[in-house]
Amino acid sequence: MNSLACARGGRRAVSTFLTLLFVICPGTRLAVLAQTPAADAQPTPAPTPSAGFRLERTPVAGGAELLTVFGQLPGSSANEQAQRVVTGERQDAAPDVPLVTILRDTLGDGQRENDRLRYVWMHTYTRPGAGQRAAAAVPFLYNRVGNKQGESRRVPPPVVDLSATDHEVWQKLFWSALQTILIDPTGVVVKAATRTYRRNVTDYRKAHVIRALAILSLYEAESGTPSVFSPGELNEIQARLMLTQKTFGGIVDDIYLQRVYQQQTTQWLDTRGHNWELLRQQAEANNLVFEPLELPDGSATHALLWVARADLEANGARPFKGRFLNIDNPWNDRRLRKWQGYAETRYFDADNRPCAPDAPGARAVELIPLALYGLDHPKIPILLVDFRDTLNPKQREMSRRVLEDVARNVLAVSRFDLPYLLGRTVYDYVTDKRGMDLNQTSRLRAYSQLKLLLSLDASLDPELRTEVSRRLEYVSLNPLENDRAAEVQLARAQYEALLDYARRPDGLPAQLDRDRRAEIVSLKHTRTEQTLFRVANLLSFGLYTHREEATPAEQAAALDVERQLAYHRHFLREVARTSARVEVQWEIADVRRALEYVAAHGARADAKTAKAVARIFASTQDEATRRLCLSSLYRINKETAKDALARIYRDEAQDARWRTLSADYLRRAAGEQQRIAPATAKLIAAMDGQ
Amino acid sequence: MSSGLTQYFSHSRQTCVGRRLHCARRRATRLARLLGVLSVCYLLPTAYCLLTSAQARRVVIIKVDGLPGAEVDRYVRERDPRTGKSALPWIEHIFYQGGTRVENFYVRGMSLSGPSWSMLDTGQHLHIKGNVEFDRLTLHTYDYLNFIPFWVENVGRRRVDMPGPETLDEIGVPLLFDTYANGERHMGFQTFQRGARWTTLQNALTNYFTTRAPEELFDEWTLGFGGRNMVMEQLQRELIQKIADPRYRYLDFYTTEFDHATHHNRDRATHLAALQALDQYVGRVWTAIEKSPVAADTALVVVSDHGTNSDERYYSQGYNLVKLLGSADGGGHHVVTKRRLLNDYALKGIYPLVPLITTTTPDSFYLKGQSTDYPTALIDFDGNERAGIHLRDSDLNLLHILLLELQRKDLAADLRRAATEAFFAALDRRRPEWQRTLEELREETAALHKLIERQAALVAAQPKKWTKADQDAGRDKEALRQFARLDSWRGDERDYTEYTRTLANLLALRRETFEPAHINIPDVLAKGAMGDRNTVFELQNYVAGLAPGGLKLTPAGALDMGRSFKRVDYPALLRAVAVRNNVQPGLDTHPVDFVATQIPAETLRLSVSDPNMRADDCVWLYRGEESQALLLARRERGDKISLRFVPVAHLRQNADGTLSFERLAWRADLPLKIWEDAQLVLPAGAERAAWLSDWHTDLEWLRALHLTEYSNGLVGLHEEFAHFDTPAIAADVPDLTRDEQLLRRFRRRQRALIETDLFVHASDHWNFDVRGFNPGGNHGSFRRVSTHATLMFAGGANTGVPRGLAVSEPYDSLSFVPTVLTLTGRMSAPGAAVAAGFAGQPAQFPGRVIAELFTGPRAPPRSVAAGTAENAH
Repeated sequence: MNSLACARGGRRAVSTFLTLLFVICPGTRLAVLAQTPAADAQPTPAPTPSAGFRLERTPVAGGAELLTVFGQLPGSSANEQAQRVVTGERQDAAPDVPLVTILRDTLGDGQRENDRLRYVWMHTYTRPGAGQRAAAAVPFLYNRVGNKQGESRRVPPPVVDLSATDHEVWQKLFWSALQTILIDPTGVVVKAATRTYRRNVTDYRKAHVIRALAILSLYEAESGTPSVFSPGELNEIQARLMLTQKTFGGIVDDIYLQRVYQQQTTQWLDTRGHNWELLRQQAEANNLVFEPLELPDGSATHALLWVARADLEANGARPFKGRFLNIDNPWNDRRLRKWQGYAETRYFDADNRPCAPDAPGARAVELIPLALYGLDHPKIPILLVDFRDTLNPKQREMSRRVLEDVARNVLAVSRFDLPYLLGRTVYDYVTDKRGMDLNQTSRLRAYSQLKLLLSLDASLDPELRTEVSRRLEYVSLNPLENDRAAEVQLARAQYEALLDYARRPDGLPAQLDRDRRAEIVSLKHTRTEQTLFRVANLLSFGLYTHREEATPAEQAAALDVERQLAYHRHFLREVARTSARVEVQWEIADVRRALEYVAAHGARADAKTAKAVARIFASTQDEATRRLCLSSLYRINKETAKDALARIYRDEAQDARWRTLSADYLRRAAGEQQRIAPATAKLIAAMDGQ
Repeated sequence: MSSGLTQYFSHSRQTCVGRRLHCARRRATRLARLLGVLSVCYLLPTAYCLLTSAQARRVVIIKVDGLPGAEVDRYVRERDPRTGKSALPWIEHIFYQGGTRVENFYVRGMSLSGPSWSMLDTGQHLHIKGNVEFDRLTLHTYDYLNFIPFWVENVGRRRVDMPGPETLDEIGVPLLFDTYANGERHMGFQTFQRGARWTTLQNALTNYFTTRAPEELFDEWTLGFGGRNMVMEQLQRELIQKIADPRYRYLDFYTTEFDHATHHNRDRATHLAALQALDQYVGRVWTAIEKSPVAADTALVVVSDHGTNSDERYYSQGYNLVKLLGSADGGGHHVVTKRRLLNDYALKGIYPLVPLITTTTPDSFYLKGQSTDYPTALIDFDGNERAGIHLRDSDLNLLHILLLELQRKDLAADLRRAATEAFFAALDRRRPEWQRTLEELREETAALHKLIERQAALVAAQPKKWTKADQDAGRDKEALRQFARLDSWRGDERDYTEYTRTLANLLALRRETFEPAHINIPDVLAKGAMGDRNTVFELQNYVAGLAPGGLKLTPAGALDMGRSFKRVDYPALLRAVAVRNNVQPGLDTHPVDFVATQIPAETLRLSVSDPNMRADDCVWLYRGEESQALLLARRERGDKISLRFVPVAHLRQNADGTLSFERLAWRADLPLKIWEDAQLVLPAGAERAAWLSDWHTDLEWLRALHLTEYSNGLVGLHEEFAHFDTPAIAADVPDLTRDEQLLRRFRRRQRALIETDLFVHASDHWNFDVRGFNPGGNHGSFRRVSTHATLMFAGGANTGVPRGLAVSEPYDSLSFVPTVLTLTGRMSAPGAAVAAGFAGQPAQFPGRVIAELFTGPRAPPRSVAAGTAENAH
């Protein structure tokens, strides 16, 4: 009995320790930053003028640059505008706010092939305050508890490290295992608290990833001049951000990134278009007024529904079909008859098109807002603001959370418990098929985008904007969220902190150095060793990371080759994957250049590169390219490469020159003791026997 | 020719010596001219023969649903910054530089997949008039695009062909691939598909998993497996495998990926991605052809059935015609569709064998609670930019309403008497016509019954087991096809017999023995039958129900036909529809652009005396009271069609059947907006009003109109409404037995019964899709953006396909099959008959062969990017 109590106590102590560790952990990652000085970080605007966005480049000592997207936020709060009066800023100018920063490690040269994109900072994403953290761990507290207190002078946490997305996957798996094996058995309270906290942290980050994506997409759409990002680079950043939403997204092969970006964007635009049309038709069927709200690039991500005050009297007995709209019947609603809230007078011409008040035939219509919907939600527009019933969207928002939290945290039902699984699957299917937004998991996107829209859309009446903002903050379930005004301040403060960090020798330059030393690990250690280092990193909760010792010159030389090889590998794989005949689809000089690099420096290239090169050989008729393919296969020190040469040698349909050249390369490879599969080795021996 | 030369020389010998020099000069000139004429007369056919002797021994056709010619052209000319090449490098390489493209290739008819592929696959005039067709008497549906019932019935060995080929077989129209033997052809899965290949589905699954490395599969799983991709991938793989086998002489592949993408998304990136996927596949097919042993003799063709109206600036807005017809103002109809409304949001939507969907209205005037027994409207909204509406014969409504009133026990005696009179007046008015229908249908079903007996014997005699050789030759499929025909005919016999039973009962009603209380209405008015098509008079005065006050009498004691019934003027109603939410600048507030309906030639003949207005076909276009037109057509010897467009206003049909209308001078804002269109191309020197007012052949209209906003809509409207004979249903064929004549008449009747009352054409960027939403874009209209399709040819050295040739002469869907037949040497000369179909019956094709493909200059490839942007506008 006693020993049992002791054991239980010990388990509690462990779980308490782990919980504390868990709460602290997200902050620990950047607390171990390096401390080498550098101080040449002065922002220079890049030549990317656009309507609402601009890009600023800030050099970082040690060979990197910060690329920051700034946005003009006409939708700043009244507080902010008052602050601008105090600071003497121009009143007519929209405030310029840093939104997203990306670190590009250039190795200090102008060569694009050896650049590597690393951290993405969303400046409204911050470390939560202590109160927010505590609230985030309280189960069933589906509410904001206020903004982060005090000005943030710490370096903001990045939302993603583009060069190490796999770390995130392993961490996710590690924490899931920890939660299930160690924390959950300790009791309902700890289990519920930790799970709630993790979920809030995840959702908070997701929301900012979504906004980062939206901003990059807007920047891409608005940027009229050559971008500082290479062709496809911006898409790849966005694809990596998109993949953060999937459990194993971080380890998806780079070759899929274009496809991920394209498919996801297509799907989102498809959803948006469907919802736009569904809402317009529902508005039409119910004699309501539909108004899409557009982001600066002209894409409508949200929409308002209004009712004309004059129609309330005329349509008293009109039936209301509220399916998909999820609001009360306006025609018999007494609140609307006595409406004192926000209303607007708009003007319409004879064809019901919105027009100026002085347009010929313009008629004035007083409109009362009914609801605001997000259009980026699967199947149906999602209700975000109900102007008559603030609780309505909140209840819809909470429904799934409550269901899950009770089932998982209180009743301790496993996700794979058969009756629960079946029941939930049927319920999910039916509500999803019928188009009910009670049960959707992607509210976050619509909610996050609305916050962005409120900041960026200059066409919204300030009073309406304030009204929507106020109601929207109420809908938020996440105690870690800050309100819009606080986020603007946070963004500025965190950007300043980041610039300061970039200027300090022990700041970003030192971090860069550590990252590069970590990057070299893969060049110096076997796969097994690398796996062991990763395990050590996970078990120490990120406190230990193995890095190689190397002088800056050694680092630069090693990384230059490795990164360029990775660049050309990616290019060659893309060429091989898409081309039935290379020279038709690609500039053959570019392909040759990539092959030349592999032929010169490709000893460390992997099997996938070898396969790509072999495929290019098969799908080109260009002599020089074919020659380079064989040379590359010889250079790549992998069995796959030699197998490919052997296949060419054995292929009697091939021209004799290529077979002879392949044989020569195979002999040379054997002489150099390269990696060769036994079957290929036998073939080489047989060739020599001839 | 030689006698002309003799005369010439004999004449020259008689000239006087003094004028010898002068004469010699003249003679030389005339001789040169004559030789010129001779050489033209002799050399052109020779050149044609020589060039057509350079033939493709086989053809690979990539059929792309909804690929707009303009969009392909735009992206071919764009440079991809990543590659430095065209955004569609293979299409540029194969067709723009190494082949021939037809820059102005159009759908003839609606830009709608079912009908359009039926023309492209047969080379014959339009017989299939919608993606879905309803038989007005039996409510049998021809659902040409729904492949699920086909596959299900194929498992049960009840069907071997998709509904399209079945319908075409019935009327004796062979498909292009029918000209090839079973072992010579390989087809993809498509709308007009013969046979089902289950191995493709099986291999799709296994190959998907066996051709990928484990890590690739893991990534695919993370990103989401796509079942649709698996099948497409397998179909692509199979085509490439078959290309390597020289025994296959006809290969095709059908894809709807681009069409689906444009329905959903309007953005450039989505369209380009879909096109690039197609481009890469075209590249793989081309390289497979190049590697095949008969590369030099193989032609590759890319063809599409229509364009698509997708614009990055607009969402395509839907308008719900089902709701309109169900509303009190719309007539309170219970509406039948073949597509489930909001299918994606309905639990029932998961059921793949879609039955007839009835949308019940609470606003029905006299059929509340009887929606499944008595729907009164059928809508085919497939095609989206156009809808086809069938309304129940207005007189059937009238009889139905009066019967219901007469069955009331509380009906006043004077009203009862008047209603009885009105009932028999209406019945007697229609009696001769219905009596004729009844007798004819009885004759036809009797002939059908005999056919069924013969067919049953044939089916019973079929072997039960098939050898491998039989299967390879397709004999097992042919046997199954015979069974499918039998099954279909039995269904026809049952359904039409039931209809004739009720019609006979109705016609048997007599004043003297009339006891309405004892009549069971379904015994005299067939459930689910729409009856005959409505006349213009009926469409303008459609009886939808009782008037709010019920039956009314005239002072003379007769039933007041004007005040007793709720009547609807459908053309006016549809055009007047306006929406409240018009948030996209530039879009019309009226979703309906115009409506069209057919006017029988006899009606026109009764109404107009002007011989220049005589026509074999007439279509009325309504865009408002002041904006209407009559499209007149004359069929002359052979396949010559002459068309005339007559602007009119205030057209009404009187109760006696005569038409009255005002003739208008040509002006702007008429249906099809021809007058004001800056792209109208008239022959040199032609005066606009005079030329437009005259009769012209379909080809002359095509040349004049194809670049305008409505493109060849004028020709297309005629195609949509006209009835065309086929060798298997033509009446004037000698030596037919009586039964054969009756069966031919029966098939003609069946095709006529699917014709709608109203053709509704949407305004720009509007659609009528209510199954779901198609905000990305739509097609189905006559707008050029929707009718302008793609046609490109390329081939090996022996095929003679010119390189780098862009044909600017406009052609339409009818040209596709004869051109391919000429290219492959199956058509010896333009207009020659070709042995086609199962029985090898000779078939003739009305379309023009694309002559430039055979006589065009072998120009060197030209730089595409430097060319003009888009040929058309």
